[in-house]
Amino acid sequence: MKNKLIHSTLAIVMVAAVLLAACGPAATPVPLETSAPVEPTVAPTEVPTEAPPCLTIGALYVGSVNDAGYNQAMHDGLMEVQNNIPCVKIIEAENIWEGPAAETTMETMIQEGASLIFATSFGHQEPAMNVAKKHPDVIFEHAGGWMMDANFANFYGKPPETFYLMGVAAGLMTQSNKLGFVAAMPLGWTLTFVNSFELGAQSVNPDAETIVTFTGSWSDRAKEAAATDALINQGVDVVTMHVDSPATVIQTAEARGVYSIGFQSLAAQQFAPEYWISGAGFTFGGLMTGMAQDVIDGKWEPQFIRCGVADGCMAIAPFGPKVPQEVQDKFNAVLAELEGGTLVLFKGPIVDQDGTIRVPEGEVLSDEDMGNVDWFVKGVIGQPK
Amino acid sequence: MSLLSILGVISSAIFSGTSLLYTTWGEILDERAGIVNLGLEGVLLVSASTGFAVAARSGNPYIGVLAAMLAGGLMNLLFGFMVITRRANQLASGLALMFFGFGLSALIGKPYTGTMIKGMPRFIFPGLAGIPALSTSQFKFDVLIYLAVPITILIWWLLFRTRWGLSLRAVGENANTAFAAGYNPRLIQYQTLFVCGLLTGLGAAHLSIAWTMTWAEYMTAGRGFIAVALVIFSKWHPVRAIAGALLFGGAVAFQLLLQAMGIAISPFLLDTIPYILTLLVLIAWGGTRRHAAPASLGRVYQGSE
Repeated sequence: MKNKLIHSTLAIVMVAAVLLAACGPAATPVPLETSAPVEPTVAPTEVPTEAPPCLTIGALYVGSVNDAGYNQAMHDGLMEVQNNIPCVKIIEAENIWEGPAAETTMETMIQEGASLIFATSFGHQEPAMNVAKKHPDVIFEHAGGWMMDANFANFYGKPPETFYLMGVAAGLMTQSNKLGFVAAMPLGWTLTFVNSFELGAQSVNPDAETIVTFTGSWSDRAKEAAATDALINQGVDVVTMHVDSPATVIQTAEARGVYSIGFQSLAAQQFAPEYWISGAGFTFGGLMTGMAQDVIDGKWEPQFIRCGVADGCMAIAPFGPKVPQEVQDKFNAVLAELEGGTLVLFKGPIVDQDGTIRVPEGEVLSDEDMGNVDWFVKGVIGQPK
Repeated sequence: MSLLSILGVISSAIFSGTSLLYTTWGEILDERAGIVNLGLEGVLLVSASTGFAVAARSGNPYIGVLAAMLAGGLMNLLFGFMVITRRANQLASGLALMFFGFGLSALIGKPYTGTMIKGMPRFIFPGLAGIPALSTSQFKFDVLIYLAVPITILIWWLLFRTRWGLSLRAVGENANTAFAAGYNPRLIQYQTLFVCGLLTGLGAAHLSIAWTMTWAEYMTAGRGFIAVALVIFSKWHPVRAIAGALLFGGAVAFQLLLQAMGIAISPFLLDTIPYILTLLVLIAWGGTRRHAAPASLGRVYQGSE
């Protein structure tokens, strides 16, 4: 009897301790709490110890902000906003799965006073749209999708152009003419990235082939390691990826002595001191600062934004130690075309794996169509659906 | 499908199967002593995150491995406290442990998610360097994989050739009889759980420190449960567990190979192959009379008071 009492008390105390700890701020450290949001009929009952923030921003990430990948890039963008506009308060929530949890998180952020929400993962789109419909006074910026509304806008970089550039580098560096691409899921944009990578490689090396393997998840590290191994076992000597964090793919490639090309965040380069070729990363700080400032000034308008290297939304990493000068020169030449705006991607004729003409001669694949692609360009080995 | 591809599948199977193998061994010992640990997923995660964190902080992967083993042992002792001393239901306690492990591992691993650690060197087994087909980078394994061979022998010997192993199996068959014969079932179960924790920690260390060299939340992706299924597949025998782990690891590698070869099947469908295979082997080899489960598996030892 006494035994049971002791243990029950212990159990209750432990649970209470955990709950109390959990009820604290769940996210990375943010500026001090402020008084309640403005309510016209009720005067604040206590004097705030400092001025309320000029804007409260909520940010959701599908992974961890220190993943050296997509989530870190998004987080770095938000931190730049904090630096540029010191009076904003940013609430961050990591590891928010792309489902009902996202909706609840956004609702909580709105209750905490958020009037601008960055839903950073592709799968946060529907949950964000659902919440947006219930809160017409809150602005939603989603990354990587297509939905738009009066208080909902979409933005993203232009990875097809950076992947084309990386394809050029890969096509020049490969000796087996086999390039590898570790992808998460066969989404339209992922297929477009693969296609532009292959087209970039073909522009300098007509025999280059890209082999694609899908891991089925944005962040299954064990699968990514196994997928990279499988590609290398097929003779691939340059790998790149479209998963949340490039860390595992790059480390596996480095351990096997295979070249790697990074994506998502420039922080990826540290994982491949020897066999790094180049990489692209998102640098949304400037764009996000502009959006936040617009919301503060009341000038925000829903815009479908796709901005690339020339606009400062994406950056190219430095070359690795094994990249020869000729490759660097050719790469920089194409980069100059890109920045100058003279590079045209997906210019017809483009043929898919079965030989069907997908982009006729004289036409160009539009941005909208790029997001709905369900085919691979000839030269890609893999199943697009 | 060239020889290189097949060797590639074998190599990948060994890499991805090793963590599974250690975990399965731990669970075999557990279940032989009559305890079902459904919380292996949580134990794996906590061990993986602790090991990775220690490896990142200390700069030494081997210390990380030791830390992972210790963390696994401690998690299992916690489980032991629940099911042995407090006599809680084993299945429910295991699941509770799993959820606890999810949260604790995320907490421990959070600051280290994008950290790069010093990995373990991978080398070809000294004798095999001469054989050309095997001396590619595919067959460079780390020390934890090579360690699996002597550990197989160790576990087999422990279980079938020592007094402790005998008492363990006796407790698993009928704890009351074991008690009557002079053994202490509670102590033996605690000891078994600790050893299981050490082995699981070793498997987790291989996953996060040696193979993927990263930490991410929920990175074990169900391995703990696969291990529980593999225990049944291997009929509670440590040597047969190797076949099970290689089978599952091989299936993952095989479906990725099929993708890399450009086969015209949806990648989503291919992704299910390892799990369907596990189901099939369980159905086919599920339960025969000759190799039945330990008789007291899952039963909480009430003691004689």
